[in-house]
Amino acid sequence: MNKRIKILVYIPLVLVSIVMIFPFLWMVMNSFNSSANVFSIPPKIVPDLFLKPGMFSNYVSVLGEFNFGRYTLNSFIVAGGSALGQVVTCTLAGFAFAFMDFKGKNIIFATILVTIMVPVQVTIIPEFLLMMKLNWLDTYAPLIVPSVLIGSFGTFMFKEFFESIPKTMIDAGSIDGAGSFRMYFNLYLPQSHAQLATLFIIAFMNNWNDLLRPILYINTEKLQTVTMALTQFQSQYTAKWNLLLTGGVLSIIPLLIIYISLQRFIIQGIASTGTKG
Amino acid sequence: MKRKQLSWYKKQDPWLFLFPTIVGLIFFRVGPIISSFLISFTDWDILRDARFLALDNYKELFTSSAFYQVFGNTLAFSFIYVCGVTIFGLLLALLLNQKLKGMKFFRSAFYTPVVTSAVAVGIIWTWILSPKYGILTIVLTKMGLDSPYWLGDPSLALFTVALIQVWKMSGYYMILFLAGLQNIPESLKEAARIDGAGKFKTFTKITLPLLTPTTFFVLSISIIDSFKNFELIYAMTRGGPQNSTNTLVYDVYLNAFVYYRMGYSSALAYVLLFIVGLLTAFNFYGKKRWVQYQY
Repeated sequence: MNKRIKILVYIPLVLVSIVMIFPFLWMVMNSFNSSANVFSIPPKIVPDLFLKPGMFSNYVSVLGEFNFGRYTLNSFIVAGGSALGQVVTCTLAGFAFAFMDFKGKNIIFATILVTIMVPVQVTIIPEFLLMMKLNWLDTYAPLIVPSVLIGSFGTFMFKEFFESIPKTMIDAGSIDGAGSFRMYFNLYLPQSHAQLATLFIIAFMNNWNDLLRPILYINTEKLQTVTMALTQFQSQYTAKWNLLLTGGVLSIIPLLIIYISLQRFIIQGIASTGTKG
Repeated sequence: MKRKQLSWYKKQDPWLFLFPTIVGLIFFRVGPIISSFLISFTDWDILRDARFLALDNYKELFTSSAFYQVFGNTLAFSFIYVCGVTIFGLLLALLLNQKLKGMKFFRSAFYTPVVTSAVAVGIIWTWILSPKYGILTIVLTKMGLDSPYWLGDPSLALFTVALIQVWKMSGYYMILFLAGLQNIPESLKEAARIDGAGKFKTFTKITLPLLTPTTFFVLSISIIDSFKNFELIYAMTRGGPQNSTNTLVYDVYLNAFVYYRMGYSSALAYVLLFIVGLLTAFNFYGKKRWVQYQY
């Protein structure tokens, strides 16, 4: 490729990168501004608390005074629990769909696929009622249980993946007299590290970012997830932009760490849904 | 003689494996889908007993001008979203599908907004677009341009929010397109080149047609995704100003959990389901006209 074309490719790439990354950088920079400095015009390129004593004072007050430490922990519990449960549910279901024959198999699988397109708003009112009847309001349960039991994407992914493993495994296993649970647990799961990681991460992120269920089900302040807490903070303290942006940074740091360290799983997982489907 | 087939699993095993999934389907999918349909024929505030209204909720809905505004907002948002992510996703994928240094870095950068929460994204952009202190406003003013009220102007707010959703999600569709592009055999492009086809002709005659299965998949997903705008609207505008960013998903939430009109809200939810279903069916029906599966 000659030099001119190279430049023609790199210029838009750099420009788009700036558009994609700058908002996050701007948020991080403003989280090191004092409450007065955040409103300076023109904006300061170097935040006034940056590399000064009290550099992390916004973080200290958001984590302490405004309890974001607790909210982050809540998010970890909810997102971690949901993702773990979803991995179990989806691998079990995927295994059954891949290898077993039973009555109604096609109908059940079709229902899973068709209901992917149903927006959560269609099911949320009866779900709310159910949670009320179960006395689960204001607990973590309604944030975890529905997403554990509904993992359409993961079920589909594991069905496809298990089917791609040579059938001779099943034959070898059944000659050894392994029952289906041992086959699933000892033979197939150990081969699925990458897929397990992919599903766990995607489910974790989806649940971390969910907003509708937390605002419907959680009343007690200390049970809020970090995403919900941010919206509450936003409506209570409209002028404290330095603290709000600090909260925003805190809410995405865990996701960014996971994304940066495990991105090959995420990107391969997403890419494979496209080429197989 | 019929031989009994030896099976490595017991007859009840499939049901044990599927137990959580089936419980989930019954209690969180099929059950609620049916019951919200029934609720849509009632007047119900969740505390007192429901009153049967027959079609009154639907009548109210189709005669209220507020509903048509919400309906229009929903379609406009979806249209901007589907077109936006498809076009930008494809353009970004084409840029990245070059054998040049640094492509992995750019790919990671473009995907970053996808993994962050819509709430955080909403807060960042509200700050950047804020009428007095927002960096974009300040920069535009410095350049001598009139900065519009991105989120305060009822004729602009929906467009702004939809565009931010496009900004957030394009990276996802980029990955899908990139996988599709990398599935196209290099030999076919080579053959076209040997036959004397230029770059542009190779692109329109080889790459684009062979990419149609991916494009179809992208459209299917983005249509479904285009209705998932609750978080961003809640974080940025809460449906305002003057209802201009109120979409069906947000209106369902408002009517059900702010006004406690479960029946009316369920009717809205069914209109939503109907639109999603219709668009998805349309997409599948049109598939054979333009999607090419054979090489």
